[in-house]
Amino acid sequence: MKWWTTQANDPVSAMKGTGSMEEAVQQSVVLTTMESMINWGRKNSVWPFNFGLSCCYVEMATSITSKYDVSRFGAEVIRGTPREADMMVVAGTVFIKMAPIIRKLYEQMMAPRWIIAMGACASSGGMYDIYSVVQGVDKFMPVDVYVPGCPPRPDAFLEGIVLLRDKVGKEKRPLSWVIGPQGIIRPDMPSMRDMKRDERKKMTEIRPPDEV
Amino acid sequence: MQGYDDIGEKLKNKFPEAIVYLQPTCDAFPTFWIDKNYIVPVLGFVKNEPGLEFKFLYDLSAIDEQARKNRACQPQSNFTVFYQLLSFSRNQFLRLKVALNGDRPSIPTATTVWPMANWYEREVYDMFGIQFDGHPHLTRILMPRSWKGHPLQKCHPARATEMGKFQLPEDKMLAEQELYQFKPEEWGLTSQSGSNEEFMFLNLGPQHPGTHGILRLVLQMDGEDIVNVVPDIGFHHRGAEKMGERQSWHTFIPYTDRVEYLSGVMNNFPYVMAVEKMGGIKIPDRAEVIRIMLCELFRISSHLVWYGTFAQDLGMMTPVFLLFYDRERLFTIIEAICGDRMHPNWFRIGGVAQDLPKGWDTLVRDFIKYMRPRLKEYDKMIMKNRIFKARTVGIGVYNTEEAIEWGVTGAGLRATGFDWDFRKRQPYSLYDQFEFEIPVGVNGDCYERALLRAEEIRQSLRIIEQCVNNMPEGPYKSDNPLTTPADKKHTMYDIETLINHFVNVTWGPVIPAGEGYCGVESSKGHNGYYLVSDGSTMSYRTRIRTPSFPHIQFVPQYSKGYTIADLMSILGAVDFVLSDIDR
Repeated sequence: MKWWTTQANDPVSAMKGTGSMEEAVQQSVVLTTMESMINWGRKNSVWPFNFGLSCCYVEMATSITSKYDVSRFGAEVIRGTPREADMMVVAGTVFIKMAPIIRKLYEQMMAPRWIIAMGACASSGGMYDIYSVVQGVDKFMPVDVYVPGCPPRPDAFLEGIVLLRDKVGKEKRPLSWVIGPQGIIRPDMPSMRDMKRDERKKMTEIRPPDEV
Repeated sequence: MQGYDDIGEKLKNKFPEAIVYLQPTCDAFPTFWIDKNYIVPVLGFVKNEPGLEFKFLYDLSAIDEQARKNRACQPQSNFTVFYQLLSFSRNQFLRLKVALNGDRPSIPTATTVWPMANWYEREVYDMFGIQFDGHPHLTRILMPRSWKGHPLQKCHPARATEMGKFQLPEDKMLAEQELYQFKPEEWGLTSQSGSNEEFMFLNLGPQHPGTHGILRLVLQMDGEDIVNVVPDIGFHHRGAEKMGERQSWHTFIPYTDRVEYLSGVMNNFPYVMAVEKMGGIKIPDRAEVIRIMLCELFRISSHLVWYGTFAQDLGMMTPVFLLFYDRERLFTIIEAICGDRMHPNWFRIGGVAQDLPKGWDTLVRDFIKYMRPRLKEYDKMIMKNRIFKARTVGIGVYNTEEAIEWGVTGAGLRATGFDWDFRKRQPYSLYDQFEFEIPVGVNGDCYERALLRAEEIRQSLRIIEQCVNNMPEGPYKSDNPLTTPADKKHTMYDIETLINHFVNVTWGPVIPAGEGYCGVESSKGHNGYYLVSDGSTMSYRTRIRTPSFPHIQFVPQYSKGYTIADLMSILGAVDFVLSDIDR
């Protein structure tokens, strides 16, 4: 398939072509595998569940608004019910009183479903090693991407979404459970800390805090 | 302000045997120890006696005294229940305490004097296991019903990691779900309305986009009309008070940020002021003005979030985008000064963490210049919108007496026409030196509560402008050894300073034994910290009085007869944050 993108300032040029059958096919027919088409569709429309627990939810909501604009990544269609959502962002502290409810909401989501643990509390309990808090949502349900921060900046949350998109895009489905393993084969997600270490080590000058 | 001598005298004349002790505290107001058998009549007396009129039950909680060492001028007790009252006519606080002993401590309920004591007493029962005789519905309020033990007792573990690994097998989950089943009879509600009609019980939350967080309300409905509302809270209980008992005085500050997570450093303010009061720490003027400026910036930030989400609750999609964009502009200032967005943790005991960066004033001035015309725009877009008005004017009305009876503070109180802002009435920090007005309403409906907050943004801008124009020079932190480590250059010559430096940095300062309270007018209402020091590096008891707790308790009282759509408007106009309810 022939396709192109234009910049906002590019002059509008007329499409040139011969009008041949061959060209018409090139413009309208896509040849791909089923797997990559499904992955392409899924990764570009991860609909989040409108679910928030505490402080992180405010930053998650901020990422939807104009400055950050999560719709650039196809994840702005917020669903009020878990049955319509693909992704649940556990944004905030996981309270013991809330844990059965979170789990119930997760179970109400239809597969394929993905979970982002947003913030230190949802990832590990964070600052709140206290009697009423579960030390990370992964104690009772699976997590795909962990976003650190207390709360993470909206930019960090967006990076979490980008990582999740990568993951969704790389999922493999075996031809049949007779031939391959059962279920979806999910890619390994490496630690961002290790991947970015070399780049970060290059930073030698840190902006002093006493200037704007 | 009058003195306090007449209170003691009047009490002694009326109840000769009631007062057990008079305890001096670091606050400016007295603490009377009252005999347990007299507490309810005494509460009724100070509430209604002309000349006293302590009409406002500001706070009610307890202290587990079993591990406390320094108890001068206090009777022996295992548990102490305290009542903090406020008199508007005298403009004074008063604290009453009751000593409780025995294995199963109990005390008569105060709900006969103040119906709002209901939730406070349930909280004390939940956290300390103290029984309130005659309480209409003494059940757990914050912890799950299946919880064993009472978390704020000294013998209860603080850390989750001390309590074994959390697991949620299928049967436990089902059992927990069963406990959330709403049974109307338990709450004194009937499911039969007339001869053959039934009420519907509708569960709203804890996961619901209209409740702004994990709040659960059970609605008793007669067709479209709300007959009763039963709030169920505690889903956001983060144990902030217990946390205060295990963090050092300095390291508790980041937790205060998260108690009311939209107002950032404004939560640090009452805490650090209470510690400063107890430690006798004086702070420099520059630090005071920086604190006020940041608090007002955060008041705006919190109001912007509320403004946008409130409009969204009522069906407007555009404002939330515009207001969040403005909030981002504001956060550029917060980031430049504090280095973080929502929880800067930037106040310190004795001042602030760092001096203002170069060029801060231009940022702030630009923001003020930018924000004022925007507010006019929002007035046109939101406040004058016909649909917005139709959904808020005359909805959720209550008067001043009801508001005071149920512990309402902040814009919710002022909307009823009662001019009470702690920044003006009991000025803390340097608020008495700023020019600003307190907007007051007339009707006490949802629309006016919204109007007042919109106006408060303007007044905050005014205060910030005065801060920029009159920022004093000087140090940004006190040089008191409790707050600031000794100067590094002295430590190289002087073993004493070196030891002090080492001890203060590793263990943290020791605040002298005593009790102190301080409160501020936060964006949601009145937020106060009552601290008890036992002469150690940690607080013995940290009581956080938050405004949203009584505000949500009050909601059922004035939402009866409305529809669910109106309830969304009522909840939005309360302006609560879940962490502010459950802490």
